Amino acid sequence: MRKLLHLSFLLAALFTGFSVYAQDRFVTGKVTSSDDGTPLIGVSVQVKGTSAGVNTDANGNYRIAVPNNATLVYSFVGMQKQEVVVGVQTVINVELSSDAKELSEVVVTGYGQQIKRDVTGNIAKIKSSEISNVPVTSIESALQGRAAGVQINAGSGKLGQAIQVRVRGASSLSASSQPLYVVDGVPVTSADQSSFGGATNPMADINFNDVESVEILKDASAAAIYGSRAANGVVLITTKRGTAGKTNVSFNYQVGVSNPSRKVPFLNGKQYVDFYRMAAANRDRRLGDDPSDPNSYSAYMESFFEIYSLGTFNKGVNDALNNGTDFTKLLQSSNNITVQTDWQDQIFNKNAGSQQADLTFSGGNEKTSFFISGQYLGQTGTIIGNSFERFSGRINLDHKVSNVLSIGASMNLARTFNKRLSGDNSFSNPLQASALTPLTPAIDPETGLPVGTLPGNGGLPLYYNPVINKANARQSQAVVRNLTNVYAQINILPYLRFRSELGIDLLSQQEERYFNSKTYRVTGLTKGSGDNLFTGVANYSTNNYFNFDKTFAGLHALGATLGMSYQNSQTRANSVSGINFPSDAYRMMANAGTISAGSSEETNFRFLSYFLRANYKFNDRYLLSVSGRIDGSSRFGKDSKYGFFPAASAGWVLSEESFLKNSTFLSFLKLRGSYGLTGNAEIGNFPALGLYTSANYAGNGGQAPSQLANPNLKWETTAQTDIGIDFGFFNNRINGEVDYYIKKTSDLLLNVNVPATSGFLTQTRNVGNLENKGFELVINSQNIVGAFQWTTSLNLATNQNKVTNIQGQIIETGIQSMSRAVEGQPIATFFGREYAGVDPATGDALFYKNTTNADGTIDRSTTNVYSQAQRVVLGKGIPTLTGGITNTFSYKGIDLSIFFNGVSGNKINFYGVGQYSSANGIYEDNQTADQLKAWTSTNTKTNVPEARLYASNGNQASSRYLQDGSYLRLRTVTLGYNLPKALVSRWKLSGVRIYVTGQNLATFTNYKGWDPEVNSDDFTSSVAQGYDFYTPPQPKTLLAGINLKF
Amino acid sequence: MKQYFIRQVAVSLVAGVTLWGCGNQLNVDPVQSVPEDKALQTASDVKGALVGCYDGFGSNNFASGAIQYTPDLLADDGEIRFNGTFATLLQYYQKAMLANNTQVRDTWTSAYSTINRVNNVLENLSKLDTDAERAAAEGEALFLRGTIYFNLVRLFARTWGDGDNTVNPGVPLVLKSTKAPITSEYSIPRNTVAQVYTQVIADLTKAETDLKNGKLTTDGVTAEGAAAILSRVYLAQGEYAKARDAADRVIQSGRYALEIEFGNVFNDYVNRKGVPSREAIFSSLITIQDGTNDLLTYYGASDYGGRGDIRVQSKHLAQYEQGDIRGDFFYQGSNGQVYTQKYIDQFSNVTQVRLAEMYLTRAEGNLLAGTQVGDTPLNDVNLIRERAGLAPLKTADRTAILKERKLELMFEGELLHDLRRTKRNISSSVAYNAPNLILPIPQREIDVNKLLVQNQGY
Repeated sequence: MRKLLHLSFLLAALFTGFSVYAQDRFVTGKVTSSDDGTPLIGVSVQVKGTSAGVNTDANGNYRIAVPNNATLVYSFVGMQKQEVVVGVQTVINVELSSDAKELSEVVVTGYGQQIKRDVTGNIAKIKSSEISNVPVTSIESALQGRAAGVQINAGSGKLGQAIQVRVRGASSLSASSQPLYVVDGVPVTSADQSSFGGATNPMADINFNDVESVEILKDASAAAIYGSRAANGVVLITTKRGTAGKTNVSFNYQVGVSNPSRKVPFLNGKQYVDFYRMAAANRDRRLGDDPSDPNSYSAYMESFFEIYSLGTFNKGVNDALNNGTDFTKLLQSSNNITVQTDWQDQIFNKNAGSQQADLTFSGGNEKTSFFISGQYLGQTGTIIGNSFERFSGRINLDHKVSNVLSIGASMNLARTFNKRLSGDNSFSNPLQASALTPLTPAIDPETGLPVGTLPGNGGLPLYYNPVINKANARQSQAVVRNLTNVYAQINILPYLRFRSELGIDLLSQQEERYFNSKTYRVTGLTKGSGDNLFTGVANYSTNNYFNFDKTFAGLHALGATLGMSYQNSQTRANSVSGINFPSDAYRMMANAGTISAGSSEETNFRFLSYFLRANYKFNDRYLLSVSGRIDGSSRFGKDSKYGFFPAASAGWVLSEESFLKNSTFLSFLKLRGSYGLTGNAEIGNFPALGLYTSANYAGNGGQAPSQLANPNLKWETTAQTDIGIDFGFFNNRINGEVDYYIKKTSDLLLNVNVPATSGFLTQTRNVGNLENKGFELVINSQNIVGAFQWTTSLNLATNQNKVTNIQGQIIETGIQSMSRAVEGQPIATFFGREYAGVDPATGDALFYKNTTNADGTIDRSTTNVYSQAQRVVLGKGIPTLTGGITNTFSYKGIDLSIFFNGVSGNKINFYGVGQYSSANGIYEDNQTADQLKAWTSTNTKTNVPEARLYASNGNQASSRYLQDGSYLRLRTVTLGYNLPKALVSRWKLSGVRIYVTGQNLATFTNYKGWDPEVNSDDFTSSVAQGYDFYTPPQPKTLLAGINLKF
Repeated sequence: MKQYFIRQVAVSLVAGVTLWGCGNQLNVDPVQSVPEDKALQTASDVKGALVGCYDGFGSNNFASGAIQYTPDLLADDGEIRFNGTFATLLQYYQKAMLANNTQVRDTWTSAYSTINRVNNVLENLSKLDTDAERAAAEGEALFLRGTIYFNLVRLFARTWGDGDNTVNPGVPLVLKSTKAPITSEYSIPRNTVAQVYTQVIADLTKAETDLKNGKLTTDGVTAEGAAAILSRVYLAQGEYAKARDAADRVIQSGRYALEIEFGNVFNDYVNRKGVPSREAIFSSLITIQDGTNDLLTYYGASDYGGRGDIRVQSKHLAQYEQGDIRGDFFYQGSNGQVYTQKYIDQFSNVTQVRLAEMYLTRAEGNLLAGTQVGDTPLNDVNLIRERAGLAPLKTADRTAILKERKLELMFEGELLHDLRRTKRNISSSVAYNAPNLILPIPQREIDVNKLLVQNQGY
């Protein structure tokens, strides 16, 4: 029945206006820039109200067939749109003047495109010029801070790792809150496929210098066309295509160096000895033990100093302890320390190199155009052992078979090779070396190897020495990625076309992990351990749709899209693991003496969808748009396979009205509003089924229940309202937009806790609601025009996230369950005991009780008994305010661009580090320098409790470890110089540009850890946000580049 | 012109209609899991589900670590030092657990997950081919369930005889498999300590009977395994004659023998390529492919791939007599700390109960019952002493038996339970029935099931 309805609509659409299909004559002309009279290449010349159009050629010339009474519309990126009534003219030359904000530019909308001026939804567009050559590995990093309401957090400085993107806040607790990525119309694999060492990022396979524009569909009106996968926003990536005319050749090369953006101060050797002597003495005092007793904590610590300094300090103490002789005479003064290792210096690379080379060719003739590119990118991480390489090639081809049929293809083949690091919560995470004793020499003097490497003492240093990994472990991920799509487009009528797209996204990932015998302290294996894992994701999709675009009676413009899409994704993986290698010379599984594990896995999902969108514009000022999508998915319960996602929006261009039309300062004003439903389907592939899975034991095949059934399970639904104003002042020199949105998500896909006595921990159900709301502001301003130009572009967004109803579920996660979804609070709320500082009399850590008194008031008295304090809301891990500001200056050939971005309102949980390293000496871990302020009888006014070895005194999870996570970062600065044309043309070149770029040069923050842009790979989830766990900081990069155009 | 147009329309329509209905593509079945309604249909399905019970039982959160190190850390009185950085285990060592301790939670959830596996097997016995198979499968499943409940009630409830067993809350008894949807029916209160012990004894007794004619699973438990755990249950209840008899049944079976060398009892992978000791009555098997031995994780020094957390102090070493082989069964790690040699290999099995304990149980049982079933208490104790290289005792009183029991079974998870059942205090400040020796009911469980009553002090 549904099919029939679609067909009848289609036929109706087809036959409307059949009779006006006629062409009359040709108009020719040249389009130039009013600034300098140079020809403009690639200007869109369109017959108004139709889709008929051409582009200007390499000399700015065009030729177009026009019907009677036609009006031609000339539009070009960066220029003001111009309309010319053809009348009887046959030659029309046009001068376009530059436009402050390109209201006339085309915005990609998903299965179509629209003029920005006419858009009634909220779509953020980022152009290639803003992201090209940014020294990062993936496109999301390059987008950071560029679009209002799109919060991007790279999480760490590890290269190629997964990046968190939140479009208008997180809208799910248990399902993913990442947006849907669509490249040239094809939904691509963007979720982590890695097997170890934290999530990686399949989007890093894409060379973002190939990208023409990125459109982020934020509101329901824009996104609902993507139905059940649009609630987290949709990122549409459109790659560059060739234009007719001269073949442009561009070569770009850049080379840079990176350093960690920050180091955290830790105790030096002398401070360490003094501090731990104090900690041990305090513990003995409290236990009533004699520090000279060989069983005392003081004796333990003195023996520890000798062992971990490799005998360079306190020599002979252990012999004395073992022999029962007086050890106290052998104790050395902390002035005698000869070894002081700064472990951070051991694990950070200095001036890590990076380079990137890009070569592109683009051009074509009237029938065929092409864009061909190749890229090599190589980055060395700022952490030892980390690097990332990408080779990428792309061919985009378009060919007009006839006036009716056009075909085209895009093919991208890329290989990335990522030398990876261990997950943050692993002793082999290099940053964990910060906690090692500074007394321990970095190099074992007996072997000349990093301390702890066999045949030296393998039990040193305090924990595994991650430096050993550099020469003895290998954790790599090699990905070959093929993104290919082909299309055919039939221009049925001037205003009606049919487009069919077929896309294939193949991801082949080979992971290798090998730890040789020298690493055995982390593997526990004396003859090496290796894994080899293959993952292949084959993702096929097709889109087939009609686009209709026609103006009736000069007043009614109607656009419509109707179509279907189908996606089939299959993931297959296999792996083999081995141990007992003949020697460290071998690392392949073929060489393993024992195969310790092997596996093969497969999982699949499918989507089948039908979609419709109609845009109506009356008299160029009243805009209306409706859309809907019917989405079916294999992921959901058999009783709710299909969902419907409608949206509607309206706009009113007030500046077209007579009462504003003649305003001298107001050049553009549009009110718009939208409402619609979108869904979230990112919950794994079989959450609705009751399942058994294998549970093998000692070589016997076994099985056990693994999941409870829920046949009613369906998507999360987000209802979003958006109200916005687009404005332009002073001939659009100042322009921008303001939006307010409310996103209400219901039927949350929630892993609901069930009594564990049932044998299960959770069941996935549609339970609960949450909401996001906020303001967004975008302002673009040409502050100074003329020879010296200064432009500013600002975006700011607020987001208030609130879990409104989870039916009393207690959902806790994070280190020591410090994060919790709490009704009435934001999704990533820190929930725990509130630190009340130090008792000046005793040095005890104090906590606010926060218990409820009989009269309902809260008891704000303090206690030194941790468990007597009640847990309370302590803040949130997600920011309230995000934004970015770019100032661009240019004078003659010189240009300078300064881009800051920042977040505010979030807290960072330093407890992952602090429980060991800022814990006033509970363990032997080296301490952050601020612990020197620990309470003593003479230093009673402090926030750091008394140091007590192996006794908790404030190292428990509490607000002590939550810090303000706000930051403002000088993200990118680029200074460029375009050599004068006269000089360049002598070299037979059409352009030469040299530039220097600085990335992350300065960060302004109160956060005391390595980097306020942090989300530890081993702890992050929707609810657990803002955790630092010895997480590597972002690199600070300086690079120089040259761009040659032929 | 018109013809041209019609051709375009025709092409578009064909393309459109062909792709319009992709048919019933949305029914995708999982490949590496099996829908629950197809999982338990044949005899081999049920046998596989039984193997899955051992897999759950042998989790490092239960029998391959947690049920040994948890009581060992709680039982400490300065004989060991826990110098690890896991706050969960440090809380055990300091006897200051919090209700949200994740290891407490994981031990609890792991136990009940296995109980559900067991209940599924018990409800599908009819699909097995013969009565003999049915009996064997039932015996194995009941053994695992009984043993799990026994360990849960020992860890999460007041010890037997500390107050009124018929009032003291034990743990919830779940005896039926779980089927979606999870309704309020699945929120159940704690049964009493007495009820749990009754169930444990019923399960283990039936298991012993069922297994008399053999077991079903290759590496499964024997009737003697059930009897061995039963002897612990009776000891815990002070039913010394029954404990004695159960231990005696194991010894008399002749199926097990003491190792000549004490050191050979442990580290199966190093000593026997993974084959359990002939002294082991039941072990959770670890292979290179499967299972995690968390005793190595915490008791083993970094030299052997452990975390080196649990360090033996001189106070403990001083308790061995001169010449006691067991007193030398320690090593100094490269960090200078002393560790037990019982756990120095990650692929070695975790012995759940071994024959030496049966002799000591029979000795204690005979002594307190005033009998000499099997042998005299003195002979039984001296058998263990001789293996340890010690001179035989002249007389064996209860103190001597319990001391031998402690030194023989140290770091094997029984010390706390032995102290509590004999009402001996842990230290001058921690009484045998101190509330902080009892684990909290996990906070996540209290949160989700309002009928559960938390233990005292949490």
